[in-house]
Amino acid sequence: MNRRNFLSLTGTLTGGTLLLPNFLHSFSKQNTIINPNQCLVFLQLNGGNDGLNTYIPFENELYYKARPTIALSKSEIIAGNNGMAFHPSLIDFAKIQQNGDLTIVQNVGYQNPVRSHFRSQEIWQTAPQRQEYLTSGWLGRFLDIHCKGHTPTAGINLDAYDNFAFLGKEPNSLTINDPRRFSSIESIESKRIVSTNPQLDFVRKVANSISEGTLEIQKAIANTKDNDFLYPKSELSGRLKWISKLIKGNLNSNVYYTSMNGFDTHEGQRGTHSTKLLEVNNAVGAFYNDLKEAKLLENVTLVVFSEFGRRVAENGGGTDHGTAAPMFIIGGNNKGKVIGNNPNLVDLDEGDLKYEIDFRSVYASLLNTKMNFDATKIGIINKPLNGIF
Amino acid sequence: MDNTILWSLRLGYSSKQANLIEKKGIKSFLEASFDASYDQSPPNFLEKIPKSSIDIKALVAKKRNANLEERKITNVEQDAIGEEMQIWWLEKMTNNQYPLREKMTCFWHNHFVASNRVVKVFYWIYQHNSMLRENAFGNYRTLTKAILKTNAIVEYLDNNRNINSKLNENLSRELLELFTLGYGNYTENDIKNGAKGLAGLRIGEENAAYVSKFEVNESFEYLGKKGNLKVDEMVDAIFDHPKIPFLITEKILKWFIYDNPPKELVDYYGKYFKTVDFEIKPLLIKIFTEEFPKKTAGSKIKDPMVFLLQVFDEVAIKPDGTLINKLLLQQGMSLYNQVNVKGWEGGRAWVNTQTLLQRNTIVDVVCTSKNFVKRRMNLEEKKLLENIKNDTLKVNIKWLKNSNAKSIINDFASRLLFDTDEKLKKDLDAILKYDFDPNSDGSDFSVIRLYNSILKLPEFQLI
Repeated sequence: MNRRNFLSLTGTLTGGTLLLPNFLHSFSKQNTIINPNQCLVFLQLNGGNDGLNTYIPFENELYYKARPTIALSKSEIIAGNNGMAFHPSLIDFAKIQQNGDLTIVQNVGYQNPVRSHFRSQEIWQTAPQRQEYLTSGWLGRFLDIHCKGHTPTAGINLDAYDNFAFLGKEPNSLTINDPRRFSSIESIESKRIVSTNPQLDFVRKVANSISEGTLEIQKAIANTKDNDFLYPKSELSGRLKWISKLIKGNLNSNVYYTSMNGFDTHEGQRGTHSTKLLEVNNAVGAFYNDLKEAKLLENVTLVVFSEFGRRVAENGGGTDHGTAAPMFIIGGNNKGKVIGNNPNLVDLDEGDLKYEIDFRSVYASLLNTKMNFDATKIGIINKPLNGIF
Repeated sequence: MDNTILWSLRLGYSSKQANLIEKKGIKSFLEASFDASYDQSPPNFLEKIPKSSIDIKALVAKKRNANLEERKITNVEQDAIGEEMQIWWLEKMTNNQYPLREKMTCFWHNHFVASNRVVKVFYWIYQHNSMLRENAFGNYRTLTKAILKTNAIVEYLDNNRNINSKLNENLSRELLELFTLGYGNYTENDIKNGAKGLAGLRIGEENAAYVSKFEVNESFEYLGKKGNLKVDEMVDAIFDHPKIPFLITEKILKWFIYDNPPKELVDYYGKYFKTVDFEIKPLLIKIFTEEFPKKTAGSKIKDPMVFLLQVFDEVAIKPDGTLINKLLLQQGMSLYNQVNVKGWEGGRAWVNTQTLLQRNTIVDVVCTSKNFVKRRMNLEEKKLLENIKNDTLKVNIKWLKNSNAKSIINDFASRLLFDTDEKLKKDLDAILKYDFDPNSDGSDFSVIRLYNSILKLPEFQLI
């Protein structure tokens, strides 16, 4: 019997809360069945998603002044509240907010913002303290300590390419483009791990991860064979669907990560951005409904972010690289609030928003609350951001 | 591994050039590679694609006005041409007796990236590619100036949008960050000012050119130089910067030899590069002749191109370009098709659980073509398997027929493995036992089993 069924059973037999430990008390009142295996899911929007056209300060005339051709008009935006509204593509985000399952953290960034995609992605993925160049990712460092030994499936990166965020001393994560491939072993023989050649060592460990991770993934897929939720057709939807399948199949990974390209909207922004956000909306909406139906939403925290926002003023048909932007947090029993001030379009840094909330304080809060982990152990000394959970 | 085989793989895509390197010596081999003639005849697809701005606009308009069904047809046609272009280049890589020019062209194409994910005009991609091929062994400064005036680069980095009334910094930033100096060697102000100098450099008929009404004509400071600088003067200013030789030197060392080049080597060869005024030939000669005698095997993870072409060459099959092309895409090395302007990361980024699994599947298919659960293979892998089963591809593994187990293992090791330590030797001895009889029935099968295991070793992934 897995943990989830156990809890559901005890709940039924004792009329609810008596046998549940204290920390689960609040969940039980919400009529959910809790699996204490919490996980974090990251969705990285590559290219610098335009925060101002995603979550829009529609009552600020400066917004319309700075963006004569690409601003979203008051008649287009949806779910306006307290001066902020969603891009019309984000219908499901608005619904999730209405349900109280979406927290928005405004103006997230870091000091001395870098406007290069690669360096800024690297900064988000390595979380350095003074923008020093680190050789490990923040999740890699976290899993190195949290896992106590090589655990190939502690992190799952649903992507064609490896993810710097997961790079640690041990390969505690798997990069998977198509999880079905993992049922095709034929394991790769590679028992001899230690080599003085770092590149050889690396290939050997990847080979090892395949053979060890295979079994776990196979089990998880088998567990959810007849349990398919309908997702729209897109690459991102496909990936979120796999993440959900692996969660539902009790793979028990701590962190899942995936990304989507196409947010570098220097030109033709109106059409491109709208299409891209729609793909995000539809995929995230399905993921949300899927987990909610499976009564797992409280255990899964989805975090949507990008390496930077874009310049306040448009450049004609698009926007150039900017700085701060909102982060979206869905599920994981978050408080469903909007944290931070609405974007300040007056006090700018060379035409860009000044950040108000450090992304590392969001990381610290996620690790602290969801993983019961002290982020200072991995060099994140920012205080956890209050108010998300 | 035999040193000439190692360098044949590094300077090309298979062990095919090992004999030439052996016979000529590394220096003459390089000179022959520089001098070798290469095909400059116009490819077939050139007739099918629009070249003039009028024809290009007509195609765009056709797509815009088409209904869904017509657009589908146009898209299929365009995809086919894109594929033809990739295969055209692949064939150059595989067929040339001296593949170094293509390898260097590919290096530049991963440096001055203009990916067809954004640049939708095939002719511009072709022009960009031809320029890189012609200048593959030329001068870095000259090439930088020329490439900035290709329509492909101007389109890819949004410089058509960079006009005096609305500056766009994309090209200005990547020129310094990725094409020349590297991150940390310039200021945000250089980027902003650089955009002024590049403003008005727009897509033109054959090449990009300044259009005066969109230019900014004012004096600005750029990397310590002052003036109303335009693209050529900006490049000159960049090439006066003390850090200019190092980014490209490091990338060349990475492309050919070391995933992690020692800093001293970057410094050493970089300084030399400056003394020869950024000429590529003397730099390559110096690097390759000085690194050749060193024991450097195993310092680099094979890229998918080398992996695939070496495997197919080894088993003497010539699969169709379409297939290799698709496999390259799945391995993350699709030509003219990089994910972003940084280009392929290389090194460890080539190998992850997904790509390593596929590399091993490919090896299994070409070696055994048996015992496969097809349901778990993707389309391309199935196609490869079908071709081999149907004998349209005849796998032929070269092994020493009148010999013994030890010689066969040694022969494979010197051809395929960068290093074979005692433990590995023992493992291989266990697969092909000392009493192996090459003339017995089924001897072929035993050797193939050994061969198959070797190609799946982590050691095979390195050169």
